[in-house]
Amino acid sequence: MKAILTVHNIASDLVTTFWTPIFVGIFIAIVSYALWPRNKAVFDEAAKMPLREE
Amino acid sequence: MTQSQTAKSMTHGEAGLVLVFSISAFLCLFAAANAQDAPFAFHAFLSSAASLAAVIVIGNRYFARTSLPPQEINGRPNYNLGPIKFSAVMAVFWGIAGFAVGLLIASQLAWPALNLDLPWTSFGRLRPLHTSAVIFAFGGNVLIATSFYVVQKTCRVRLAGDLAPWFVVVGYNFFILVAGTGYLLGITQSKEYAEPEWYADLWLTIVWVVYLLVFLVTIIKRKEPHIFVANWFYLAFIVTIAVLHLGNNPALPVSVFGSKSYIAWGGVQDAMFQWWYGHNAVGFFLTAGFLAIMYYFIPKRAERPIYSYRLSIIHFWALIFLYIWAGPHHLHYTALPDWAQTLGMTFSIMLWMPSWGGMINGLMTLSGAWDKLRTDPVLRMLVVSVAFYGMSTFEGPMMSIKVVNSLSHYTDWTIGHVHSGALGWVGFVSFGALYCLVPWLWDRKGLYSLKLVNWHFWTATIGIVLYISAMWVSGILQGLMWRAYTSLGFLEYSFIETVEAMHPFYIIRAAGGALFLIGSLIMAYNLWMTVHAGEAEVQSPVALQPAE
Repeated sequence: MKAILTVHNIASDLVTTFWTPIFVGIFIAIVSYALWPRNKAVFDEAAKMPLREE
Repeated sequence: MTQSQTAKSMTHGEAGLVLVFSISAFLCLFAAANAQDAPFAFHAFLSSAASLAAVIVIGNRYFARTSLPPQEINGRPNYNLGPIKFSAVMAVFWGIAGFAVGLLIASQLAWPALNLDLPWTSFGRLRPLHTSAVIFAFGGNVLIATSFYVVQKTCRVRLAGDLAPWFVVVGYNFFILVAGTGYLLGITQSKEYAEPEWYADLWLTIVWVVYLLVFLVTIIKRKEPHIFVANWFYLAFIVTIAVLHLGNNPALPVSVFGSKSYIAWGGVQDAMFQWWYGHNAVGFFLTAGFLAIMYYFIPKRAERPIYSYRLSIIHFWALIFLYIWAGPHHLHYTALPDWAQTLGMTFSIMLWMPSWGGMINGLMTLSGAWDKLRTDPVLRMLVVSVAFYGMSTFEGPMMSIKVVNSLSHYTDWTIGHVHSGALGWVGFVSFGALYCLVPWLWDRKGLYSLKLVNWHFWTATIGIVLYISAMWVSGILQGLMWRAYTSLGFLEYSFIETVEAMHPFYIIRAAGGALFLIGSLIMAYNLWMTVHAGEAEVQSPVALQPAE
């Protein structure tokens, strides 16, 4: 039980201390995914999704 | 009458709902008999009657049906349009009701005798009726209708669930009925935009969880590998509203047979929870949900792809990361710690970027199709809504700056700002979506009259301009009068002098509201004629005929 609490405390301490860099990191990853050159074709197709149904 | 060969049996959903609603009919009747206050007794009776009606409707549907509707017909998805039609009709109904009550309370502010000296028609009770009717009843039904349509079309599958989508649309409108009649009878928990009491909140929680499940399961069983960006916005709207609703409403009822409850949060924590809820209702209900409409209906109507799909992804995540922190700007110069106020202001200012990114993305989707603005009033309505979105998301961050807020807060400027967003952005994008949706749902070639759409557009636009310019002038005048000091350090104006100064602007505002209401009546007539007198689409896009 004590061990679980310690693990939980370490995890929550990490999040409360480093949430700004964590969130910034996640956001940068999302932006990189959106702008990654290899993903361009997929996104260009997706932009047409409302037009090619039925 | 011949018996069908194959034995038909109730689905788990049908049997379960019949059982639940039967028990609920008795429990609600029991609650009505033991009610501590008359409005609670009325709501308990209403719930009992509604439960009974639900049992009868589900039972009749079971006896009338042969088998469940197929998922696909001739290899094409058999889209479920019934609940969407219901929601679209309710949206028009609640819209007109909400705008009419808005006009009434605007007139009450100009001519207080219109309060009629009755408790039920006093400003204090009608104001939440107006806000809930336009935001949650009109806006909510538009969001549910469009989300159910868009998720099916872009996932290329039938909506998940058989009774569940009907449970969502009817259950949601029943919540609106309970909330609205409650306000008139004097039931409120006194939280702005979260006025319904504990039992209405519990019911909404159930409805909303089912809504989330229907939406999620439809996405999970999709035939398209990619989840279209509009569905991301809808999902953010549904999930966040669930979290906000639970966070802002944990209340302990005085009695399980009475309407009054007390909120778990106290003091400034309660204020912070309230405006975390309040501003994110703006951010996720009135923004994210309607941005989903923008990302589907503008490309569809303009027949152009989204200007930049990459920008739409960044737009979405930037909005999600920032909006949730902006709430404290509603509590400037209050007991809320100063750092929290500054945090709210900072995040509000940062919101400029995703908001304008989204606006640019919506507007630029018209590149190559700008000429359609001259010929298609529906597209014009959608595009002007995005322009209003840009305008009010510029004004909002500016008003969140503390020194600006010290002048604008508690004045009519706030009312003007809210209505430039609500009438211009949410209203126009909803009207545009309804003008697209109704011919699609009822298989019509097009709208009954584009000329009437043009009339609606201009009537409503002039109405909005009158409304917001009157409130800007009135609000700034009010703010300046409140802070005017004489050379001896006394306040220059008494409160009643500021009220007197605002009178002409209240009349202009009511006139603007009247024009907006007239516009919506023109729309209702046009949509009615589209359904009842419109030319049927020859090649039905939805295969409704049974397979040969």
